Amino acid sequence: MAQQDFSKKKALLIEDMAEARIMQRKMLSDFGFTSIEIAMKAETAVELLRSHSFDVILSDYNLGNGKDGQQLLEEIRHSKLIPHTATYLMVTAETSIEMVMGAIEYQPDGYITKPFSQAVLQRRLSKLLETKERLLEVNLALDANNFNEAILAAKRVIKKYPSLLGKCERIIGESFLEIKEYKKALSLFNKTLKNRKMPWALFGKAKTYFFMGELEKAEQNFRQLMLDNRFFVSAYDWLAKIQVKNNNLEEAQATLIEAIGKSPKNILRQMELGKISLLLNDYIAAEMAYRRAVFLAKYSCYNTAEVYIKHLESLARISDSGPLLPRQKDNFESTLKKIHESFFDDPDNKAKTYSYEIDVYLADNDKSTAKQIFEAWLSEVKSGSATPPSKQQSSIFTKSFGS
Amino acid sequence: MKKIDISTILASAIHESKNQVGTLLYQLQSLKDAISNNDANHKKIVLIEESLKKLNDEWVEYLYLYRLASDGYDLHVDTFLLDEFLDDQVFALLPSAKAKNLELDYTCDPSLTGIFDERLMTAVVSTAVYNALRFAKTKIRISAIKHRDFLVISIEDDGQGFNLSDDQPEAFLEGNTGLGLYFAELSATAHVIDEVKGFIKKESSLSLGGANLSVYLPQPTTDQTLSFK
Repeated sequence: MAQQDFSKKKALLIEDMAEARIMQRKMLSDFGFTSIEIAMKAETAVELLRSHSFDVILSDYNLGNGKDGQQLLEEIRHSKLIPHTATYLMVTAETSIEMVMGAIEYQPDGYITKPFSQAVLQRRLSKLLETKERLLEVNLALDANNFNEAILAAKRVIKKYPSLLGKCERIIGESFLEIKEYKKALSLFNKTLKNRKMPWALFGKAKTYFFMGELEKAEQNFRQLMLDNRFFVSAYDWLAKIQVKNNNLEEAQATLIEAIGKSPKNILRQMELGKISLLLNDYIAAEMAYRRAVFLAKYSCYNTAEVYIKHLESLARISDSGPLLPRQKDNFESTLKKIHESFFDDPDNKAKTYSYEIDVYLADNDKSTAKQIFEAWLSEVKSGSATPPSKQQSSIFTKSFGS
Repeated sequence: MKKIDISTILASAIHESKNQVGTLLYQLQSLKDAISNNDANHKKIVLIEESLKKLNDEWVEYLYLYRLASDGYDLHVDTFLLDEFLDDQVFALLPSAKAKNLELDYTCDPSLTGIFDERLMTAVVSTAVYNALRFAKTKIRISAIKHRDFLVISIEDDGQGFNLSDDQPEAFLEGNTGLGLYFAELSATAHVIDEVKGFIKKESSLSLGGANLSVYLPQPTTDQTLSFK
C-alpha cells in the first residue's frame, strides 16, 4: 500500500459529540491533513458542502437530533453535492452499521467502527484514497455524466485490479441503466446474481424491469429485496411507484405508510405520501405527511417552496369540510410564516398561498378577512408581483364574499 | 407480567458495555498522548489498551454470535483481495501479539480474491488469533488459499495443538465454553453459494506443529467473473 500524502487533501469532519470530534480532528491533523473543516450537525455540513469542495468526508452515523449520517449521505449524493471522486467514510457503532450496509442505494465509500485508533483510521483512509485513485477515470466520467466512458474505464480497472470487480460491475450496471441499455444491464445483474447474492445487483435487476415496463417482475424482485434486507427501505418507495403506475393509489399509500414507520426522516418519502394522499382526497393523511416534510425541510437539501405550499393546500382542503381546529390553524400560520420568509418572491407561490388563506378564512365564515386577502392579492396582480386568480377562483370567491 | 427475552436484553447490555469500553479507549488514547514513550507507565497503559481492545473485540463477537444464532444477521458479501484482507487483520492484531512476544504474520497468493462477509470474517479471524495467543509458543500464522470451490482461511500456531482424541476438543478454545468455535462455525455456515454451505475444520498445523483452525467459505464454481462483454 502506497503511503498517502494527506497534506493537500481537504477534509470535512462531521461529528456531534465534542470528545470524539476533538479526538478525530487530532488524528487527522497528526497524519498530515492541514485543511480540516468541522460540522457539528448535518445542517452545517450541507452548508459547507455547498460552498466548499472536499476530498475526504468523515461523518459520524449518529448526529444527534437532526439527520443521521446516512440521510445526510443520501441527500448530498442525490443532489450531487459531492463528486464521485470524493471519499465518504462513515463512522459507525455496531448497531448502526446494519443501517448503513442495508442502505444499498447510497453507500459510503467505506465505514469504520468505533472505537478506532489513529493508526487504523490512517490505514483505512489511505486504502480508500488509493481505491479512489484507481477508479479516478471511472469517477471523472461519472461526474461528467459520460456513462459510455465510465463503462469502458470500469472494464479497464477490472483487468488491472481484480479486487475492484464488485465495485466496477456495479458502476457498469448502473451506467447501462443511465443510458437505457436495459438488456445489457439485465444480463450483467443476472450474471452477478448467479455467483453472488449481492443486494445491489438484485436492486439493479428490479430497477431494470421497472424501466422496461415489466412491472410484475420488478415488483417480485423488490419484494425479494425487502425480505432479504430489513434495512433497505428504498425498496418500499419503488414498490409504491409500481403501485402508482398500476393505478393502485390506496396500495401505494399503504406501502409508503409502512416505509415511513421504518424510516420516518426521509423528506422525499413524506412528500410522496402527501402527494398520493391528496390524490386520494385523504387530506388528514396528506396534512400529516406534509407537516412532517415541512419539519424535515429545514435541515434538508430539499428545502423548496413546494413542501410548504402543499402543506397549506392540504389544510385548505381539510377546511373544505368545516373550520380548522385551533391546532390545525396554528400549523397553517406557522407554515404560512415560513413561506413569507423564504418563498414569497415567486408570483405563483403568492397566488397559491393567497388562495389557500382565503379558503381557510371562508371555512371560518370570516368573510371580511377573506375579502381583504383577496383584495391584497388583486393589488399584487396589478403591480405584477402575483399570478392572477383563475376565472373559476374569482367567481367562487366573489360569490362567497356575499356582498 | 410479560415474559422477557433474556438473550435480547443480554445482547443490548453487552452493547452498552462495549460502548463504554470505546469511551475508555478514547480516554486512554489521550492519556497515552500526554506522557512520553519512555515513561515507566507507558508500558502499563499499552497493556491496558490491548486488554480493552480484546474485550471490545470479544463483545463484538458475542453480538454477532447473538445475531447469527437468532437469525438476525444480514450477510453482506463482497469481493476482497485476500492479501489486503489478511494484511488488515495482522495490522489490527499485531500489537496484541507483540505484547506477548509472539510473531504474527500471513501468507497468501498476492492475486487471490474471495467473496465473503468482511465484518464477520474479521471477527472470526480475531477470535481465532486471540485464542491462538493463549497457546502459541512463538508464532501464529494466518493464511488463505483457494481449494476447489472454497476459499480456506486458516489460523495456525506452534502450541500444543488440538487434542483431537479428546471427547470435547472445544475445551481448547475459549475455556470450556466452546463459544469461539461455535461462532466460527455459525459464521462459516452463514456463507452459502448454490446451497453449498461453509464449514470449519480443526486440524494439526503441518507447517507450525500446533493447532490449525480452517474456515471454508464457498465460492462461485467457475470463474465467470471476467466473462461479460
